[in-house]
Amino acid sequence: MSKARKSVLYWLILSPLLLVILFPYTVMLSTALKDRTEIFVFDPTWWPRELKWSNFVDMWHAVGFGQALVNSLIISGLSVALVLLVAIPAGYATARFQFKGQGAYRQFLLITQMLSPIVLIIGIFRMMATLGFVDQPVALILAYGAFNMAFATWMLQSFFETIPKELEESAWIDGATWFQSLRMIFLPMALPALAVTAILTFVNTWNEFVLALSLLRSQDSYTLTLKIYSLVGAAYRINWEHVMAATLLATVPVAIVFAWMQRYMVKGLSLGGVK
Amino acid sequence: MIGGGRAGLMILPSLALAFWIIGYPIYDVIMAAVHEVNRFGKLRDFVGIGNFQTLAADPIFWGSLWRTVIWTVGVVGGTLLLSLPIALILNDDFYGRGLMRVIIMLPWAVSLTMTAIVWKWSLHGQYGMVNETLQDLGILDRPVEWLATADIAFPVEILVGILVSIPFTTTVFLGGLASLPGEIYEAARIDGANAWQRFTKLTMPLLKSFFNIALVLNVIHVFNSFPIIWVMTKGDPANGTDILVTYLYKLAFQYGRIGDAAAMSLIMFAILLTFTIVYARMQMKQSAGARP
Repeated sequence: MSKARKSVLYWLILSPLLLVILFPYTVMLSTALKDRTEIFVFDPTWWPRELKWSNFVDMWHAVGFGQALVNSLIISGLSVALVLLVAIPAGYATARFQFKGQGAYRQFLLITQMLSPIVLIIGIFRMMATLGFVDQPVALILAYGAFNMAFATWMLQSFFETIPKELEESAWIDGATWFQSLRMIFLPMALPALAVTAILTFVNTWNEFVLALSLLRSQDSYTLTLKIYSLVGAAYRINWEHVMAATLLATVPVAIVFAWMQRYMVKGLSLGGVK
Repeated sequence: MIGGGRAGLMILPSLALAFWIIGYPIYDVIMAAVHEVNRFGKLRDFVGIGNFQTLAADPIFWGSLWRTVIWTVGVVGGTLLLSLPIALILNDDFYGRGLMRVIIMLPWAVSLTMTAIVWKWSLHGQYGMVNETLQDLGILDRPVEWLATADIAFPVEILVGILVSIPFTTTVFLGGLASLPGEIYEAARIDGANAWQRFTKLTMPLLKSFFNIALVLNVIHVFNSFPIIWVMTKGDPANGTDILVTYLYKLAFQYGRIGDAAAMSLIMFAILLTFTIVYARMQMKQSAGARP
């Protein structure tokens, strides 16, 4: 079969699936740009009569998008910091040292990864309540840190293993202490790995739903994901043009970053976690 | 080689964080599961397996458990079935491969919550574009209330679940296909094996370990998946689309049956642990067997 014929055949076979995948994004864009009067009509159309870009501005003020955006940035940013803080040494130790209980430690990480927050949600909520952390960003930061740590450790370990050990060893011969070699040689070389891990953790926490739904109580402390959900979940009259505008605004930047990072994650998956 | 002391010190923060944020809640859930717990979360009398008995007598629990099985088997089965041909196509060389890959991976980049919100709106009975499109195409002659009855809503949710699980699964298969050694295909071709024989005798057996990994990871992930059902129907109408995770959330945060919810957590924990052990076994067997 020629390449041209093969191409036509493949596109034909997968076209139903591609249409179903693209359908919701088209709906999102179409609704976000429609006037309200054009949404609640029988026989709705795809193309808006006029492109109502002002929906985005109206939505921003009406739903408190800015506050939620700041909350999400703070919570995801600090979660990433916490994850890196514990995963860098853990990844280094598992990549560079052979120590007693290393196998047990791997199993331990695996179990933390298999347990999803929802299964432990009662215990987590009760503990956070006792500590007075409910409705505080710190509750989510700690929980996100703990549940994202294993994946980050695997990713970092698999990247760290590709950094040649000889570089550090020659630094020791030149009289550098272990800590100096770590700071001056190892970490700068590991910078791309750290960036990839940080961004993937950021996206994960940015999109998280169950913990935010359980641990945040007041509108002012909602993350972006929870805020947009609350527009659909509670109100009896839903302003769909605002919801879709908000969804679009919250989704597109993260989606672009994610699409770009995806190959690194696949690499990390195949080297570290899944293998 | 630097010794174990320093390594121990370096893994200590991760251990501390996990024991605190994951370990303590496990202990707390076990305690709540065997005590009577009031609405405000205070532990009362020790009841042993009393909470488990309450659950066993609760028809919604059994309904949720049964639907969890359907949900998991449906989503994972459908995903695996669709992802293998998709991966085979994407692994081949054709015009527009890069573009097709981007489109197929797109749902992975969007959070489940957002995807579910957009589908909920698309499926709106009166104003949704799904009804509009299907009517324009002549497939439906009148609008369908997709999310109003469990009989229709639950299968629809399974389809959305499949759609968002395809990217990860396809990626795992693509990784498997990329790792297949080209030489044996060359040899098989020289020996006169046709394309179908090469697929069934070479590709399928060599992909088996990747298939197993995709299966177990998907099962664990889908079993725990909360946002799609919660956003689209909240497990309703009349608990008709509840699976274990959504019913657990309701027991804990809406019905105030914290002891029962804790007992349910432990049951789910046991199911998950079984899968984890299966997965760990498989991983060990693979690294013992496949390495040269």
